Amino acid sequence: MGLSRKVRLLSAVLVPMLALAACSGGGGGSSDGDAAGGGGEEQVKITVWSWDGTVAQAVPGFEAANPNIKVEVVNAGSSQDEYQALDNAIQAGSGVPDLVMFEYFAVPYFAIPGKLADLGEFGVENFKQDYVEAAWNDVTVNGKVYALPSDYGPSAMFYNAATLKKAGMNKPPATWDEYYEAAKKVRALGDDHYIAQDTGDLFFLLSLIWQAGGRPFKVDGNKVHIDFTDAGTTKAVSFWQKMLDEDLVNTKITGWSDDWNRALNDGTLATQTMGGWLTSTLPERAPQAAGDFRVALMPQWQQGEKVGAANGGSSFGIPAAAEHKEAAFKFLEHFTHGGGLASRVAAGAFVPNMSVLESEAFQSKANEYFGDQKVGAVLAEASEIVGSGWQYPPFFEWARSIYGDIASPFYTTGKGSLAEILEQWRQRCIQYGNEQGFEVD
Amino acid sequence: MDLARRFDADPPATASPDAKRPQTATRKHRRTRIALAFIAPFGTLFALVFIVPILYAAYLSLFQQKLIGGDTFVGFANYGKLFRDPQFWDGVGRVFRFTLIQVPIMLIFAMALALALDGMRVHGAKFMRMTIFLPYAVPAIVSTLMWGFLLGVKYGLFGSLNDALGTDLDPFAPGTTLISIGLMVTWAFTGFNMLIFYAALKAVPRELYEAAAIDGANEFQVVRAIKVPALRGSLVVTTIFSIIGTFQMFNEPQILPSMVAGSGVTTFYTPNLYAYHLAFTGSQQGYAAALALVMAAITIAVAYAVQIRGLRNASDQ
Repeated sequence: MGLSRKVRLLSAVLVPMLALAACSGGGGGSSDGDAAGGGGEEQVKITVWSWDGTVAQAVPGFEAANPNIKVEVVNAGSSQDEYQALDNAIQAGSGVPDLVMFEYFAVPYFAIPGKLADLGEFGVENFKQDYVEAAWNDVTVNGKVYALPSDYGPSAMFYNAATLKKAGMNKPPATWDEYYEAAKKVRALGDDHYIAQDTGDLFFLLSLIWQAGGRPFKVDGNKVHIDFTDAGTTKAVSFWQKMLDEDLVNTKITGWSDDWNRALNDGTLATQTMGGWLTSTLPERAPQAAGDFRVALMPQWQQGEKVGAANGGSSFGIPAAAEHKEAAFKFLEHFTHGGGLASRVAAGAFVPNMSVLESEAFQSKANEYFGDQKVGAVLAEASEIVGSGWQYPPFFEWARSIYGDIASPFYTTGKGSLAEILEQWRQRCIQYGNEQGFEVD
Repeated sequence: MDLARRFDADPPATASPDAKRPQTATRKHRRTRIALAFIAPFGTLFALVFIVPILYAAYLSLFQQKLIGGDTFVGFANYGKLFRDPQFWDGVGRVFRFTLIQVPIMLIFAMALALALDGMRVHGAKFMRMTIFLPYAVPAIVSTLMWGFLLGVKYGLFGSLNDALGTDLDPFAPGTTLISIGLMVTWAFTGFNMLIFYAALKAVPRELYEAAAIDGANEFQVVRAIKVPALRGSLVVTTIFSIIGTFQMFNEPQILPSMVAGSGVTTFYTPNLYAYHLAFTGSQQGYAAALALVMAAITIAVAYAVQIRGLRNASDQ
């Protein structure tokens, strides 16, 4: 629904680029590039497909360190558009780029039919330690690594402290039980006040399930098992059902719409539980609420626990049909892990690298929009507590697109339930998946 | 609505003045060559932009794309599946209902405006003509956004109206969204249709009006006996344009869901939207091609039926 996740990620990442100084500093660090770039090598040009604007920041430093590799960064569209273009290029056998950006859920879509190169041959296992565990899991399909994480969306709760205060709360809800009580207090402020909005936001519901320990998709090779009845899923779904049933959630406002902007500005929506990328989007969407918002970890299912979930994020992989895989990997390593990382972080990228998340500079930076809160520290923690073992089915791109068709009657009429929606969705997924040659049950 | 499609009447069968003259073989040969040379530019373009894409779509429609296993030849299975697909027929039914209600309203409206402008009963006819036509120049994406704001119940104009009147109407509820889309389409295309009617009225010979005046006919009699019959031909044209346009409805239902919650717009709201969705998110290009061809056949059949009926009525006169 709405302008899809890609746009959100895009806006999260396209922060003004003023980081040339940081760039030259970072470029010197890619020593492994020097070692491999012997003088006798031929000049190669690699093409990178990316809708993440920060990638270009890493190019000058890379080219300086690897004079025989030229990098061309192309925006071939976002998300779906780009995947379609890649599929076409692979089918046509020409114009296949050397490096391509993928949202995490799209990695299995390309990896399973063998369209992506296994990065194992480049010794990619050595980098594992630098990444948040759940992000590494996202780029691993059937035990093999097909991409390197480039940005991340740990779920966090953005809350309007002023609205909560008006409702009589001085701190954000720490558990979902407290969240439920808080929702009632916010609702009591008047007609338009709600703790959150939901018109069928699949990624939010999945993050709730993810955090509660539900793992509805199990993928093993071509076999996909879908089950929305495990304990974690049931807990999350019935909680949100209760919130909807008791009119504690605004079902009239769609996220990313003009109505949503207005409600964020005037403080009638008290919280947003979304990916960390909202940090850079919120100031653009709700400039009038500057100083009111804060960030906290997702409310927990158990008091004292610390478990999180992810909502969005992307990675870069090398197509199996790419011409210059070696050079492509060198650049991939440079901007997702090596010397080019700093320039991207300076340009606003939120990366799942421990070396960045744990750094003093990242953790202690005060964010003016969030009342000088040290947002980086919260999001770093949110990244590190993301529950492990989550999987997306390879046909998730299609599945999410039809979810709205199934969910919308419930959200508009109130007839039915989330559990019924998920079951219907499961049935459609099973049918489609089997038609597409998977074994789905 | 897409007006790139030309409405081509059958070319008049003119008799060649040379037809009966005896011809030598070489002359005939030369004439054929010249004729071919004249046809070639059009013929080549026609083949490239019309025939080839249709044939390619027909070819595509015989295949099924799978994530696992790639493309397989499935014969006419895509068509069989399409005829049993309730989502496809849901969309077809919706554009049919839409056409039946919206097209007559829009055309009557356009005709009334054309008659009013032609009757010189309005001041500033040139200005009026321009303003009524102007919405046609607004891209559908922009007009959908605009109407989305106007009709929004939360912060839009309609919301204020509800507040003022104490009503609780929602133009973008599942039951009313189609009406709102009808409003947008009518707003956008009335001016265009009006212009066609207006041009037809301007072509009526002035002598007819003089004769009517001499016979003592009043304004209403002139409209009934001269102007409305003069509009028949263009009515057929505008009806066909409108049918083709509504059958291809895409922009409005594509944009609405990102603007308003719970509008009831699904991924298969119109056949065009469904084809787009199948091809670009479902990677089912073969199935989408089959859908596109079937939908084209349905559109052509309906448009052709209107044309035959319209021309027969016109020749009854």
